[in-house]
Amino acid sequence: MIGRRAMLGAALAAPALAHAQANEVIVGTWGGDYAALLASEIDAPIVRPLGLTPVQELGTPAARKTKLLAERGSRRGSMDVVCLGDADCHAMGELGLVEELTPDKVPNIAHVLPALRSPFTLPHIYSVRVMLTNPAVISPAPTSYADMWAERFRGRIGISDLLYASVMEVAALVGGGGESDYRPGFPKLRELKALGARVYSANETLAAGLKSGEVAATIMWLGRAYMWRRAGIPVQAHFPAEGATPYVSAAVVPKNARNKQAAFAYLNAMLDPRAAQGFGERMGYLPTTTLATLPAPLLAEIGVTAEQQAKLRRPDFGYTARNAAEILAFWEREFKA
Amino acid sequence: MAALILPAGLLVLLLLVAPMAMLFRISLNEYSPTQLMLEALQPGNYLRALADPYYQGVMGTTMTVALSCTVICLIIGFPAAWWLARMDSKQKSLAVILTVFPLLVGNVVRSAGWMALLGRDGAINATLRGLGIINEPLQLLYTQGAVIVGIVAVVAPYMILTLSAVIEGIPRNLEEAAANLGASPLVAFRRVVLPLAVPGVVAGSVLVFILCMNAYATPVLLGGPQFKMMAPAVYDQFVRGTNWPFGAALAFILLVVTLALTVLGSAVVGRRYKAQ
Repeated sequence: MIGRRAMLGAALAAPALAHAQANEVIVGTWGGDYAALLASEIDAPIVRPLGLTPVQELGTPAARKTKLLAERGSRRGSMDVVCLGDADCHAMGELGLVEELTPDKVPNIAHVLPALRSPFTLPHIYSVRVMLTNPAVISPAPTSYADMWAERFRGRIGISDLLYASVMEVAALVGGGGESDYRPGFPKLRELKALGARVYSANETLAAGLKSGEVAATIMWLGRAYMWRRAGIPVQAHFPAEGATPYVSAAVVPKNARNKQAAFAYLNAMLDPRAAQGFGERMGYLPTTTLATLPAPLLAEIGVTAEQQAKLRRPDFGYTARNAAEILAFWEREFKA
Repeated sequence: MAALILPAGLLVLLLLVAPMAMLFRISLNEYSPTQLMLEALQPGNYLRALADPYYQGVMGTTMTVALSCTVICLIIGFPAAWWLARMDSKQKSLAVILTVFPLLVGNVVRSAGWMALLGRDGAINATLRGLGIINEPLQLLYTQGAVIVGIVAVVAPYMILTLSAVIEGIPRNLEEAAANLGASPLVAFRRVVLPLAVPGVVAGSVLVFILCMNAYATPVLLGGPQFKMMAPAVYDQFVRGTNWPFGAALAFILLVVTLALTVLGSAVVGRRYKAQ
């Protein structure tokens, strides 16, 4: 039987519960370092003082994309902020599943570097794709992507299987194509294969190859090079003359987010300059705004000069999405076979 | 009495049949690079997968590896199972624990161990180089052989335990009677033990074969990026290619081929021994 006290208690608790839900912001994100840094650098010092309670939902990007797609018909989605890579954010924007982001919703967006702007995407942190060498094994270092096709690299190029799309884009650039046309890269990849380039199934095995000298050069993210150096792997980074391509770790707000205002506030906090140093030090990633500055020694390792920034290339996410099946098929069946 | 299977039946219906039905429905859809998939009812994904020499090759590799592993498990598993079945009860529980022991270590951890053993700078190459037997490291890792060895180590306990349970049911005095009538141990094994153990051989082989056909972690880690079996190919279509309809079709082809080979194998072995 429900007594008078219980009824009273329930009546008092109901608004509190509703209040808690109004202040909750559900953040779909990767686990590991990134989630820990979100909690320590953004949630605790910036978001919680705003009276919001961030709740992380950890998982793979594929799972988050699937959720966004599966929930597109429903009025209330399960996530308020969805962290994804730049290409996935773009795809979700193209499908019309996420909110357009403007400075009146997210004021800090006005300070984002022009090269990283995109209408539906909040660029959180970024790194650039560079060439890495083990200087003890190969010298002089390559200065352009095209250099890596030289005879002196025969049998000494290592490639991470996870970066297949990146490598195909690089080959396209070398072959006279570009971000919007990978086909000229196909013959260049056949050349690279004939030169004995090796594919490694994980970044860790590639790192071991670089350390042992089995691999002299590879294509990798600058942030990863920083992490590897800290782990005692002797790698040197070289910016390609063709211009470096950024990878942006980003976030979007689903159109059916339950708590949109909180989500926008969360995105604004992600760009807060106070959060930048932690992500730089622990992950080797750069802030995406002009607001944040990093200490000079850290910048020397993970930074991009103004000149390099002016030469940053822009990926064509529409092209890669439309041709994803063909790109993967070439990689799996021809290059790796 | 039939009501007794109701809880398990409902669970299977809910957790296995329903998702499978959904997956089958997806396999008939059309792939769209931007929309994930478009509703359709067409067999195109199946026809493409079956006609494609690449996937025929992947299926061929998968069947070769699965059959090799099953045969190897049978050959090394039978003596071990017989020994286990005929053991005194005291040491037996210890032996059973030792047999099951490898299953306590996860597939990924176990593969990491094999990688440390078989790698270019792994224990085997280091030893052989240290002894001056080889100058250049042997390519042991990232080969079909490495995958077969890795999978056998995972599935052998299933074969041994299944076989030993059946062999235990064969009265010991039948072997003794055969010996009394002048049969050598080998003849007694071939004419008495083996025919009676056929149900165990079939059950163990079916179990092991199915596990091998669907192996994922071991082929990925020990086979390396160039080696492809069906389960990793299905994963690639879902996660890397985001082509769910085609991935679902590949998954169903794997299921049907595994089922067909299992039924065929059991029927052939069963009939052969029934005839005797």
